[in-house]
Amino acid sequence: MSHPFGRRAFLRGAVAGGAVAVAGGVGLRALLRERPRWDEATFRPPGEAHVAVLTASSYEGSLEETVLDGLLAIGADARGANVLLKPNLVEFDPSTAINTEPRLIAATVLAFRRLGAASVVVAEGPGHRRDVQDVITRSGLAEAVAHVDAPFIDLNAAPLRRVALRSRYTDLKELWLPTPVLEADVVVSMPKMKTHHWAGVTLSLKNLFGTLPGRVYGWPKNILHWEGIEQSILDIAGAVRPSYAIIDGIVGMEGNGPISGEPVEMGILVFADDPVAADAIGSSLMGFDPERIPYISEAGLFLGQADRDQMEQRGEDPDGLTRSFAPPPLGDGVTAA
Amino acid sequence: MPQDAPQLLASLRNADGGFGLGMGQPSEMEPTALAALALDDVGARGWLAEHQREDGSFSFGVGPYVNDSMTGLGALALGPGQERERALDRLESTRARHVDSTSAIPIDESAVGWGWAKGTTSWVEPTATALWALRLTRPSSEGVKDAVALLRDRESVGGGWNYGNRVVLGEELPPFVQTTGIALVGLFGMDPDLEERGLDTLSRLWRVESAGGLSLSTTLAAFRVHGWRQEARSVRTALERLVDRTRLLGEGVALGWAALALSDRPPGED
Repeated sequence: MSHPFGRRAFLRGAVAGGAVAVAGGVGLRALLRERPRWDEATFRPPGEAHVAVLTASSYEGSLEETVLDGLLAIGADARGANVLLKPNLVEFDPSTAINTEPRLIAATVLAFRRLGAASVVVAEGPGHRRDVQDVITRSGLAEAVAHVDAPFIDLNAAPLRRVALRSRYTDLKELWLPTPVLEADVVVSMPKMKTHHWAGVTLSLKNLFGTLPGRVYGWPKNILHWEGIEQSILDIAGAVRPSYAIIDGIVGMEGNGPISGEPVEMGILVFADDPVAADAIGSSLMGFDPERIPYISEAGLFLGQADRDQMEQRGEDPDGLTRSFAPPPLGDGVTAA
Repeated sequence: MPQDAPQLLASLRNADGGFGLGMGQPSEMEPTALAALALDDVGARGWLAEHQREDGSFSFGVGPYVNDSMTGLGALALGPGQERERALDRLESTRARHVDSTSAIPIDESAVGWGWAKGTTSWVEPTATALWALRLTRPSSEGVKDAVALLRDRESVGGGWNYGNRVVLGEELPPFVQTTGIALVGLFGMDPDLEERGLDTLSRLWRVESAGGLSLSTTLAAFRVHGWRQEARSVRTALERLVDRTRLLGEGVALGWAALALSDRPPGED
């Protein structure tokens, strides 16, 4: 399968905002020469992953039961755990499908409680908008979490700790991470199934950008763009290490994602106990070859399982549900290989 | 009893004189600076003076980067004196990184403002804050012209501002209320046409984004600074109701802006 993403290299500073600048970029080949770029004592070789693809035709009805079925299918264990759900709410526009749907988030709160979680919170640090109160109110998230009596934590304003990185794709060496993320027993990445005009796709790994606070990294999180979006994805995922992923593919976004694309009615949810496996399956469902999305294939070396032969798959057969999402447009900088 | 933004902000005061982003959180630069301005708080100014770097900035390290985006706000909040002059000197001596225009993100390459961190690109909010400080305290600074040029270049099509991208990959990105409000507070008196388009945009958009305290507060500050009294009255009513109903989620920056916008005379008001 050939897609324009396959020609993307790891680009550093390429989309740092205000301009695309390929010159000075550190390409994937350079990274390959310097392997391993992770602490081998911390990251053991990825083992078997558990993935489940379930159908869900809409956000109405028994979504809580579907989410519970998905979590049970991947063997999710939340007994006594403090669970943090990290949806994607980069900004809000009522005419598009930018965000993880609030009704799915509320249903997931309830499902984790049924799995015996001690607490479940919903947390996000929107990347484009500083006014989080406006984003969560207009998107319906505030009402949805209030309905299930779950707290919302603004990760842009939460207390922080500096954490040393255990991988070296960026030169950051450390990250400022919100303590609610660090202190959660279980972090669940809950992205929208979307294309992304710089990274190819934005799924459970890219969604972790929202764990980093804007007051440190800017709006948008420009320091991460200068360090390379894909490099940053890998380092952040290595620091946060989400336990589970739930991809909202009931309605996804194709074309010029993550903001300006068009809605796609996919009618699926992807569950995994491994964010790399979730993203590999998720991108396949979108019609893209995960091996040709550099950050996913690289993540498969140390963060999780990208090899479908090493995944135990339950629920629906992903191959029967695959759609061809329109790829995002490419700028003159990001076409360079 | 109705909730009151200055009182709610005051409840975030810590024993060290600074203000946190939430109840019980450690003191940080931005809520402390806003409290110094809104409450005319001596303790907050003391905290700021204590936390100013030797180079005059208010900054902290982010790996190899230095986030110095609060230096302009710090300069304003400190009040007249040596500390403010050092902060302004620092502000004047720094600019964001120059980047080339491309077909993906076309920009005016000559327009360079301020970024969130040294060595990164210009963005609307840090540039607007720098402009606000320089316009009020060093109006003849070259930085004023640079900031205005950057805001001209990053204006959304039709007026107003988002975080700082006008067009990306052929898509015109819409303005946001919060960033438009801050840009207009900074810009007052600098470019009447640009300001007029921004105010018209704000007038059209603020009710759409009125669920957020930070958006309403910066809108009110902008309308007051520009003397749009009728609009300001409507926004004030909406903001006071939102504060009463939600306490702005107890968030220090939103409360700081609310207290400042509702105060007798926000900095920059004519």
